[in-house]
Amino acid sequence: MRPSYFINFMMGIYIFIFFAYLFGPLIIMSITAFNSAEFPSITPWECFSFRWFNEGKIAYDGQHLAGLLTDWRLHDGIISSLIIGAGVVTLSVPIGMAAAIVLTQVRSQLRDIFYSISIMPVLFPGVIIGISTVVLWDRLAGLGGEGFISDIGRNGIFLTILAQTCFISTYCFLIFVARLQRFDQTQEEAALDLGASQTQVFFKILVPYLSPAIASAAVIAFLFSFENYNTTVFSILSDQTLTTVIASKVRLGISPALSALALTIIALTIIAAATYEVLRRRAEKRYKDTQEKFVKEKAADNRINKNYKIGFKVPRGIVTILILVVFTIYGATQILKNDLYGQSCIDAADTEKKSKFYDQLNALDAIELSEEELSGGELGGNQDYGDIFGDPSLFQDFGGFD
Amino acid sequence: MSADVELSDVSVTFGSFYAAKNVNVKVNGGEFFSFLGPSGCGKTTLLRAISGFQEPSEGKVLIDNKDMSGIGPNKRPTALIFQNLALFPLMSVSENIAFSLEVRGVSKEERKKRADELLELIALEGQGDKKVHQLSGGQKQRVAIARALAVEPKVLLLDEPLSALDLKLRQRMRTELREIQKRVNITFIYITHDQGEALTMSDRIAVMNEGELEQIGKCDEVYNNPLTPFVATFVGENNPLYGKVTGIDGDKAQIETADGQYLAMMNESKKLNIGDESIAFVRPESLFIPRDGDNFDNKINVNIESFEFEGNLKNFYARLQSGAKIKFSVPNAIDTSTISSGSSIALGFDSSKSVILPKASLAID
Repeated sequence: MRPSYFINFMMGIYIFIFFAYLFGPLIIMSITAFNSAEFPSITPWECFSFRWFNEGKIAYDGQHLAGLLTDWRLHDGIISSLIIGAGVVTLSVPIGMAAAIVLTQVRSQLRDIFYSISIMPVLFPGVIIGISTVVLWDRLAGLGGEGFISDIGRNGIFLTILAQTCFISTYCFLIFVARLQRFDQTQEEAALDLGASQTQVFFKILVPYLSPAIASAAVIAFLFSFENYNTTVFSILSDQTLTTVIASKVRLGISPALSALALTIIALTIIAAATYEVLRRRAEKRYKDTQEKFVKEKAADNRINKNYKIGFKVPRGIVTILILVVFTIYGATQILKNDLYGQSCIDAADTEKKSKFYDQLNALDAIELSEEELSGGELGGNQDYGDIFGDPSLFQDFGGFD
Repeated sequence: MSADVELSDVSVTFGSFYAAKNVNVKVNGGEFFSFLGPSGCGKTTLLRAISGFQEPSEGKVLIDNKDMSGIGPNKRPTALIFQNLALFPLMSVSENIAFSLEVRGVSKEERKKRADELLELIALEGQGDKKVHQLSGGQKQRVAIARALAVEPKVLLLDEPLSALDLKLRQRMRTELREIQKRVNITFIYITHDQGEALTMSDRIAVMNEGELEQIGKCDEVYNNPLTPFVATFVGENNPLYGKVTGIDGDKAQIETADGQYLAMMNESKKLNIGDESIAFVRPESLFIPRDGDNFDNKINVNIESFEFEGNLKNFYARLQSGAKIKFSVPNAIDTSTISSGSSIALGFDSSKSVILPKASLAID
């Protein structure tokens, strides 16, 4: 075995472990979305079903477990998350851009100070930003009496937009700073010299130059806003965003509907990323083609105009695709062979669980308790805790509320 | 449609540093005028003062006899061509050229018409839809000129626009620039550190050093009658011969150096007295290997050290007895097979081809 082969092999194993660590939980979670059981699980596998993507189910114990399509709390959360995301994008992109432009105009030591202040919000814990926003606006709302200020000061969506903008505009700022560092300032001067006003220079020269940064800042601002929890949980007050809904669900016990939601989000992300990549490659190819045409036009001889035959090449990533195909086929055959899909399977599983549940209820009913047992002793009664709040020394050391 | 440009006592300071000091120039309308000087001599600062990017700390800039103080670059009748051209990479060639019309609210058809006219002027017809990065260096150059001419400025300012081009292209662009200037007939103010560029294109040149004007004049005037040792050595090449004035005869002066006595022309405005520390200058092409019948009034003995073939010229590097270096050039057509390294020969030069100036620092120091 040649050493390079060995190193490649170890590298392959390392990469496999790395990606398994990264994507393993996501893959497991995605699979649980298709299991009809009440808890997200792979084993025991109950039935293959899409129920968590649409209506959900009434559990054997009578609890309603909503699916993705019927969960109105989730829908409300998504809607407010989208509104907040849009608000954060409209606020933080201009703020970040303005700060970055100011930074390019400032020379001297003030520049460092300005930069440090600008990136400071990223270093604050999100919790503190959330709480301080609420505290500030609660005071402001209290000052104004009844009216507009008091309304928006206690509006969770408004406060969340402000709180998130605090630190998200900093990320936008950093994106713009990176782009502006490569800006050739003589272009501004050239435009001015050609008679453009400062406003025209801004809209005709600077904004077109910054447009890729504007796009990426908007995307990043939206994503940061959409997934934020620690700031939002305080500033959202009585409203709910997607993250706070999910968090409250986790506290009550999660249902596979969350897996279904996760899978949907993952799928949307992958589709968006793939579309972007395809478009980017197409644009790159177009650029390359025009460049090549231009070079060929210019070249006097035909020395670059040769046709190189490209031999057949196995596409990279074929191994990954093969492994995925094999696993899918294996999983599908197992499900088909054991009849673990379709309504009949779900009905059977439900009937079984229901009968077990009723068995347990019946067993409970069978226990008969006497009056004496209910009022005291091992199984009940409140005698042991009787009158604990009557203790006069209980609040002796308590300083009281501020 | 050309205008006079006048700098009256213009100084530009950055802190305690004088980028330009008491500059007085009058550029006539329709003239091709060059500022020539080494990098850091303040010529770009002057250009920025004319275009309005830099307000002079003292003095005034007058264009068409109008004081330009407080008038921004977008309101002056000047157009600037930047050293890096500063074409707008996201726009097509036509859009670049018509930018100045666009910001003035000229209609789209009008803009296209004007852009096509200008494309014709710079011999790039039909290439208006190309992107800037698809053009070659010389084409970009011409687009920058067309863009600057689109607003019909009265003065075109050029900040070393040819410095990024290769030699052949640079030579061709010199001719083209000159032709474009004649066709549009506006004032060109050109900034360069390349004396070849300045001499071939300009009507007049101003030589600058450390923020101050050394000499203004026609090209041959500056070349043949430099006013200072700096100009003598910066414009073209010159061999300095250090010494003291020992005699004055009309417009000629005799200088006594460590290697002998030479006669040289005095400048009218730089009169010398006997005993003054001075430098006589003689150009490499004015030093000749004497042939029969030649009668030079100055003779100089040198030791050949090395030789360099330039193509049209052969350059010889030699030393005088005192150790001072001297360079002389011989046209390629002349046979020099008898001269070899280490050999000692006598050269001659005419006193009318040599100038003597009061001692001051040289450009090559």
